[in-house]
Amino acid sequence: MSLKQSLLTPLLKENPVTLHVLGICAALAITNSLTSSLIMSAAMTIVLVISNATISMIRKHLPGSVRIIVQITIIASAVTVIDQLLTAFLPETAKTLSVYISLIVTNCIVLGRAEACAMKSSVGTSILDALGNGLGYGIVLVIVATIRELFGKGSLMGYRILETVQDGGWFQPNEMLMLPPSAFFIIGFMVWVIRIWKPEQQEKVDFEPIPLPVEEEGS
Amino acid sequence: MNNDSPVKAFLVVLIVAVVCSSLVSAAVVILRPIQLNNQLLDRSRNIMQLTGLLSEGVETDDEEMLALYKSLDSRIVDIDQGLFDNTVNTDTFDKRRAASNPELSVVVPAEYDQANLGRRSRHAPVYLVWREDQLDRIILPIRGAAMWSTVYGYLALEADLNTVAAATFYEHADTPGLGDQITRPDWLAQWQGRQIYDAQGEPRFAVSTGQVESGSPAAQYQVDALTGATVTADAVTALVHYWLGPHGYQPFLSQLREQPPVQNSPAPVEDS
Repeated sequence: MSLKQSLLTPLLKENPVTLHVLGICAALAITNSLTSSLIMSAAMTIVLVISNATISMIRKHLPGSVRIIVQITIIASAVTVIDQLLTAFLPETAKTLSVYISLIVTNCIVLGRAEACAMKSSVGTSILDALGNGLGYGIVLVIVATIRELFGKGSLMGYRILETVQDGGWFQPNEMLMLPPSAFFIIGFMVWVIRIWKPEQQEKVDFEPIPLPVEEEGS
Repeated sequence: MNNDSPVKAFLVVLIVAVVCSSLVSAAVVILRPIQLNNQLLDRSRNIMQLTGLLSEGVETDDEEMLALYKSLDSRIVDIDQGLFDNTVNTDTFDKRRAASNPELSVVVPAEYDQANLGRRSRHAPVYLVWREDQLDRIILPIRGAAMWSTVYGYLALEADLNTVAAATFYEHADTPGLGDQITRPDWLAQWQGRQIYDAQGEPRFAVSTGQVESGSPAAQYQVDALTGATVTADAVTALVHYWLGPHGYQPFLSQLREQPPVQNSPAPVEDS
């Protein structure tokens, strides 16, 4: 895969959220505000780049028996440092993101990229792959958050866009969009639309169900 | 060295562990002062909001907020005796540390422990707000176990020591979007004017299990339920009951009713 490809394929063709359906937990929880989604995506991208770069650098010296332990140690350290930086410099946002920053450790995208890319590729490719996946994750988060915040609160990044009824305007916010299940629907729609547009992303049917024998009446 | 040898595996893990832990410790140590300052500022903001002293609609800048906070009449209460305790320094008292220190805390008896605290500190920092030489509000720290973690907050009572003037929850780790609704300003605004105790002195305040019916006898004690956050809401009810109950501040509040506090010589407003 060329360098350009490793950056661009994760954006749409192999998007970690819509194709692999990874990292959904945080995507559901924090996308009720565009600001937290942007910061979450940035934190996620930085962690991905650090972990992919470091793991790729030492990949030739990583014994297979302990590689997952080492990968997780590196990922957890990067996440802890970023968590500390956020509480120091962006305390308000750190509060709203609360556990989800530390939960990046368990986000399958990070470990997934470490195993699938960083263990096999050069440092350059790994960094671009990390950037691509971070952005691919970010795009989904930003789209979901824009829909949820705009129609759920009538604002974007905290700025009033639509005058809500509560403030004497005309817009009746949809409160369901403020609750996590709405992100499920929006991501579901995105997956659907992308898979209609790009049918090669559709999963093959695992098995064909055997039709049940029709019961005869009276037996 | 062969990648499959146990020695190599051991060495790689050791080196990675040492490098990673030094980086993490360095970040924690270097950023600590900034984080502490943020915390202090955050606390000042939370408490000043409850005093009713901030003028509405006007942004108070950080320095001014800290100055206002430091000029508040802050005191330490001995919860078990229900009296002010002047022997504890208000500036250095750390309620978190005190709550886990066996010498500075007591075990909460199971029959009182509806807030699942386990232990509680013997002392608590409270703030008295004076207006024209009259006690206007008293601010009490409260906490309790909620869905995922301990919720920390403050409750401000009016001078009658029964009516809620304001409340805030400044730290929690409950689910964003669900449990974190306890920090919603419009929900907290409902607390204002609610009664804590009924005529028999029992704490009745509760987060309702549905919409509060105005006009029902319970309405004066209740605030609206939180959609999708029943555990957190019940925890809030439980912690208010605990802290304002017989093992919490109730003895102290009864003492205050009998013996109204005296205003300390007002704190100097300008630096001398």
